Amino acid sequence: MFAPADTGMRWLNSFALRMAVAVAGSALLLSLVGAGWGWLRADTALRQELDLVLAGEAEGLIRDYEALGPGVLLEAARASARREALLLVLVQTADGQALAGSITGAPASLRGFVTLRSPGRPSLRALGAMLPGGVNLVVAASLSAAEDAARALAWTPLVAAIGAGGVALLLAFFAARALERRLASVSGMSAEVAQGDLSRRLPVTGRGDEFDRLVVTVNFMLDRLQALVLAQRQVTDDIAHDLRGPLQRLRQMLEAAERGGGRVDLPAAIAELDAVLDTFAALLRIARAEAGPGAGLGAGLGAGEGARAEFDLSAMVRAVADAYAPVAEEAGRGFGLDVAPGVMFRGDLALLQRIMGNLLDNALTHGAGDISVVLAAGPVLTVADAGPGVAAAERDLVLRRFGRLDRSRSTPGTGLGLALVKAAAEAHGGRVVLGPWLADGRGLAVRVELFRNTS
Amino acid sequence: MKILVIEDDRATADYIARGLAEEGHATEVARTGKDGLFLAMSESFDVIVTDRMLPPPDGLAIVRTLRASAISTPVLMLTALGDVERRVEGLDAGADDYLGKPFAFSELHARLRALARRPAGAENAESELVVGGLRMNLLRRTVTLAGVAIELLPTEWRLLEYMMRHPGEVLTRTMLLERVWDFAFDPTTNVVDVHVSRLRRKLEGPDGPALIRTVRGAGYVLDVRPG
Repeated sequence: MFAPADTGMRWLNSFALRMAVAVAGSALLLSLVGAGWGWLRADTALRQELDLVLAGEAEGLIRDYEALGPGVLLEAARASARREALLLVLVQTADGQALAGSITGAPASLRGFVTLRSPGRPSLRALGAMLPGGVNLVVAASLSAAEDAARALAWTPLVAAIGAGGVALLLAFFAARALERRLASVSGMSAEVAQGDLSRRLPVTGRGDEFDRLVVTVNFMLDRLQALVLAQRQVTDDIAHDLRGPLQRLRQMLEAAERGGGRVDLPAAIAELDAVLDTFAALLRIARAEAGPGAGLGAGLGAGEGARAEFDLSAMVRAVADAYAPVAEEAGRGFGLDVAPGVMFRGDLALLQRIMGNLLDNALTHGAGDISVVLAAGPVLTVADAGPGVAAAERDLVLRRFGRLDRSRSTPGTGLGLALVKAAAEAHGGRVVLGPWLADGRGLAVRVELFRNTS
Repeated sequence: MKILVIEDDRATADYIARGLAEEGHATEVARTGKDGLFLAMSESFDVIVTDRMLPPPDGLAIVRTLRASAISTPVLMLTALGDVERRVEGLDAGADDYLGKPFAFSELHARLRALARRPAGAENAESELVVGGLRMNLLRRTVTLAGVAIELLPTEWRLLEYMMRHPGEVLTRTMLLERVWDFAFDPTTNVVDVHVSRLRRKLEGPDGPALIRTVRGAGYVLDVRPG
């Protein structure tokens, strides 16, 4: 977002305009160089052409002289002088005395090509030849025509370049205006987002150009940001709600003891505090799982590389099931285990161990009847029980932090177990699906699908 | 036992020191990593308790320095970040055990006792463990109580083996979960209690003498008694 005070500065700050000036400038510079080079080439070529003409003329005159005698030569010289022809002819004696015709500045006994320059008059190109019989012939022509032609040729690219530069400037001006307008919408919207209105989104023009792609990316980023902020807000509310209870009770206990001078129920107070600490620990774990591997929450809280090693998921599931099976049996509940052998998985072993423990704790505490643990290739871990299950409308609720069903309020737990299961599954690129276990729609089956990371 | 406590939080340090003194241990408290490292290097202790986050050098640096200097005093690391990766990091640095804050004093004490008793490097050298009338042959994988063979499931075997390596010591549920099951979490259901009571039933029978004693609010002890 740039908003300098005066518009002059603003235009200089425009990227498109700077670009346009640069394009126009380099077009002009290149054209200048091109024009110079063109002029040089044209000038040289025209001079060579003129030399050929002079040589041809001189040859004609010499042939006439040899065939018809000096009279022809003198006549031709006089005629050219009379007519003020473009081609000048001068006949001299060997010592430089003019016999007929005149060429200003021609030296005596000139031989070969020479350029004659005299102030105030056009330069001449002259060719001198000594003829048998002591006669010197000089033929000359004005260079001005050739020079004019070369100059005219050189001007052409220059004029074209000036035109192109002007058009480039004009186009850039409009491009800059358009760019300015589209960026202004981004800047304005970003300012609103920065002030806290996370619901704002950039307009997509539908042209599918790089601007639209940028806008789509920014909008996606804002979606994620908004979701995260909303989740954060939700968590804050939940924490306030769930921690205030035990802390309030603790405060009442201490206050009552202070007022009455009586005794604090210490085990009860410690139990309340432990509940608070458990909730804190569970929240931290969920936050870390949600942040994903290696993302970290501030300094040093990220999961290390060691948390992402490959391990035998089948063995882990069997070990955890092994620990819980006697608990189910002691409670008079059936415990079924079906583990696909040799399922390898790359992930956080301790976290998966914990969420499987959470699921079994849930099945034992909140569920009823038989319990089943199935690990299928995929890998998909399903922990099911034949209890009352969770109604379809409440399945989202129990996956949320502190989301507890009314009938479970009196049972122990933080209400964070399934939220951690969900966060952990998603951190491993998977998801959690709740559904009935039995064919008649009873029971609860929690499917933890861990699609990615298999090998 | 002579115990060094390196902890910069005054309240926590006092709490640990007072608790250990009540249990009859001699305790030195260092409030900075520098002092702690100096004490650990210059005096001999049975066990060292160090906080992980200290004004430099931190707990990890202290343990690394001690191990580099061939001082093998058992070290228990305390931390506010009681999570698994941290635990692995601490153990990799050379700490022998790891305890997340906040903790119950009974948990800390049980772990310190287990650490101080641990004979360095001897765990794998033995072929037979004997506690009272209980004999466990590690090579033939047999257990006998007063000469009578007892059949154990693999989990029960691991549980008993760990208890027999620490006879007479209070073993907390968390310690058992970590060492026997390799779990880094506390189940909300009574997983440990169920397994211990099953083992107990196999060892003690309906009316045999009690071998595994429950310590209320702390854990279990395998009683040392000649049988």
